[in-house]
Amino acid sequence: MSNQVAPTNHDERSGSLLPVWWLVFRQELVELWTGGRVFFLLILFTVLISVTSIMREVESQISLIPPPEMVFLTLQSIISFGLFIGLIIGADSISGERERATLEPLLLTPTNRRQLVFGKFLAALSPWPIAMLLSIPYLVFMSQGDEVLGQALLLGSIVGTMLAVAFTGFGMLVSIWSNSNKISLFVCLLVYVILLIPTQFIGQAQKGDLGFFVQQLNPMQGSSSFLEYVLVNNRPIEEQSAFIIATILSFIIVPLLLFVYAAPRLALEGDAPRFTLPRRRTVAPALLVLALVLGSAITIPPLQASGKANVSFAHVSHENPPAAPPLQSEQAIEIAIDTEYQTLKTGDAVEFNTVVTNNGEQESPRMLVAMNIINLGKGDPVDPEDWSPERTQEIEPIPPGESVEQAWEVDAILAGNYMVYMTVVPEPDGPDSTSQPISSPGIHLTVESFVRTNPGGVMPIAIGIPAALIALTLFVRKRARRSSATPASQSDE
Amino acid sequence: MMNPNSVQPKTLLLADDLRKSYDSSRVALRGLSFSLQAGRVLGFLGPNGAGKTTSIRILTTILEPTSGRFYVDGISSEYPEKIRRKIGVLPEGLGFPKHVTGTNYLSYFGQLYGRPASDAKAVAMQLLKDVGMQHRGDSLIGTYSHGMRQRLGIARALVNDPQVVFLDEPTLGLDPRGQKELLSLIRRIATERNAGVVLSSHLLSEIEGICDDVVIMNAGQVVAKGTVSEVIGQSMETGAQRNLIRVRVPASSVTQAQEVLEGVPNVKQVTLADVMAGWLAVQVMDRVDGDSLEESLAKNKVLDALIRAEIPILGSETGGGRLQDVFLQLTAEAIE
Repeated sequence: MSNQVAPTNHDERSGSLLPVWWLVFRQELVELWTGGRVFFLLILFTVLISVTSIMREVESQISLIPPPEMVFLTLQSIISFGLFIGLIIGADSISGERERATLEPLLLTPTNRRQLVFGKFLAALSPWPIAMLLSIPYLVFMSQGDEVLGQALLLGSIVGTMLAVAFTGFGMLVSIWSNSNKISLFVCLLVYVILLIPTQFIGQAQKGDLGFFVQQLNPMQGSSSFLEYVLVNNRPIEEQSAFIIATILSFIIVPLLLFVYAAPRLALEGDAPRFTLPRRRTVAPALLVLALVLGSAITIPPLQASGKANVSFAHVSHENPPAAPPLQSEQAIEIAIDTEYQTLKTGDAVEFNTVVTNNGEQESPRMLVAMNIINLGKGDPVDPEDWSPERTQEIEPIPPGESVEQAWEVDAILAGNYMVYMTVVPEPDGPDSTSQPISSPGIHLTVESFVRTNPGGVMPIAIGIPAALIALTLFVRKRARRSSATPASQSDE
Repeated sequence: MMNPNSVQPKTLLLADDLRKSYDSSRVALRGLSFSLQAGRVLGFLGPNGAGKTTSIRILTTILEPTSGRFYVDGISSEYPEKIRRKIGVLPEGLGFPKHVTGTNYLSYFGQLYGRPASDAKAVAMQLLKDVGMQHRGDSLIGTYSHGMRQRLGIARALVNDPQVVFLDEPTLGLDPRGQKELLSLIRRIATERNAGVVLSSHLLSEIEGICDDVVIMNAGQVVAKGTVSEVIGQSMETGAQRNLIRVRVPASSVTQAQEVLEGVPNVKQVTLADVMAGWLAVQVMDRVDGDSLEESLAKNKVLDALIRAEIPILGSETGGGRLQDVFLQLTAEAIE
């Protein structure tokens, strides 16, 4: 040992040049990544995604699962497994440090506890964007060139990030409040499984108003339903917003609870929070807010919430006598369509326009244009809900001699021979009258099965990505070992 | 004009009736009061469960006392963040990240205390040199031995140039040479940095060697405090520490040996000093009479009784006038 101890310099330092959260984040990153824990979890992640991708790829050959659904199922797995990494690291972040006796030195520094927790939180969240990046090849392969890929990547990143923030924060909350790391990990795993199971086994119990409400309460299930309706069923995002409320709320509430309440109370001993009852005058507003939040979820119409569009049609009343002769103005209405026929593959979309013209001398009534699809093979009508995000469009009264154009999109869901035609339905004058619907020429759609891929086609990705990650892990660890000098035994005291 | 010799040493740490209870039935600390001057080493002693670690955690702001206050360099315990800037701590649990080098680890802590990165690194390298680890600064901590980690922990405790350094069992698990080196380093921290050092340890002989002051705790309360010589002197005055002989027998024979010795004339008290190791502390004679012939004969009778009972004597030593004896006596009295 040296015979000299550096002379003292008892100076006051008001603060660090770098923010404490950044210092902690940087340090935690080094420990998490070079320590190999994150690499291990990411390897596990890619192996799981690879296995599920291979299984789905094989299944898709049998069940003819279209690309959007394949993309959705893969995305669901990516999010479920990806947020698990953050949850586990979060669950270990504080209680694990307590057990490893590395928390006390940090608490002995004059650092702000909130910044300390924030730095650890960011580090625990760091694997998520990498997991998402590693997932892109899987999604690209599963999409088979379908345009759903872009939307899946965008929505998957947004929804996945919100869930990753919520789950990582939840893991840290449990970790702060747990005296034992085992308890922390157990509680987090239990909650994860409870929330995950309904997303994998959707049963009858989850149907109906209560069922849909329960789905909306579970952020994992809600976000899964949201992605399914939007990516697979082509439903508009705003229509399915009820399913994403729980995810958004957890994205806001969990970090708030973590940084505002738990972090400043971070202590060496883990202790479950003792929430004191609020004063009576604050109970009422709090209950009101809670009621509003719950109410907003409950009062969403079940049909809308379930993805069943509340589409209504003007129709002829059968209680009335036979319809009166059509008005002159109705006879003057004409609908034209810009496409006659098209051949496409399952999962493709066809876009076309219609033009409704008022050839009469009077202003037309308000009208609805409705899309109809007939399966020519079986003669059955097809449920257009699955085929198009917009089944009807409303037209305001058209002045004489003028036209209005509408844009349409039809997604080919199943292989077959179809006729798509549009019908203009003028609004009847009143309860005692009717109107004459006018149909457009049809579009003959020939939908072929989607391109079959070789079941082994996913193999290069499924094997290559985990293998590359393993190689990278070994390289990092080898490099870290090399940076270490002589073994302890050679220079120990 | 003030006489330099009359200048009182600066009081760096002052504890005033600190108490800690977790509930009505669990009282961990029953009133801790002491002071520590600059440049001095205070030994903090007590058997397991005496309240040493609780006391240190309170004094290092990790725990809040139920009542009482303490001051570090004049700063009240009401301002824990300010106090943390003034203290350095080697906690009882010694945990380090494995995948960081010693230099980077110390540099990181330096920055947490508000040093710029370049300054923090320079301080880290100097501290590694101070604790004799300049050659291992670039190695991962995971490759360090226990002794090296202890030294790194002490370096970490000094990273903010603390006024008061708390060292909880710093020599635990070290070999004799490592213990000696570390204790020497601790002494130098006090003298060369003019800092106050609170040293909690079970190594009573070593504490006696390097400590200026001592606080002995038992069952959450202070049973003796003062300079080392004062504490030993107080105990000697009671007479209990002089007529002492320690004998070591096989652990399996401790109970039998205690029964045998309690039947020997002139034996006043037989205490189990260390049951696992087989040490018994035997106090002979009621009166203190120096190293009289009578006392020596009494001690011989103790050994003779064990030999007659065919209990193997693995070791024996006469006691009295040492911190270890005072400690054993005070803690045993408190237990009784």
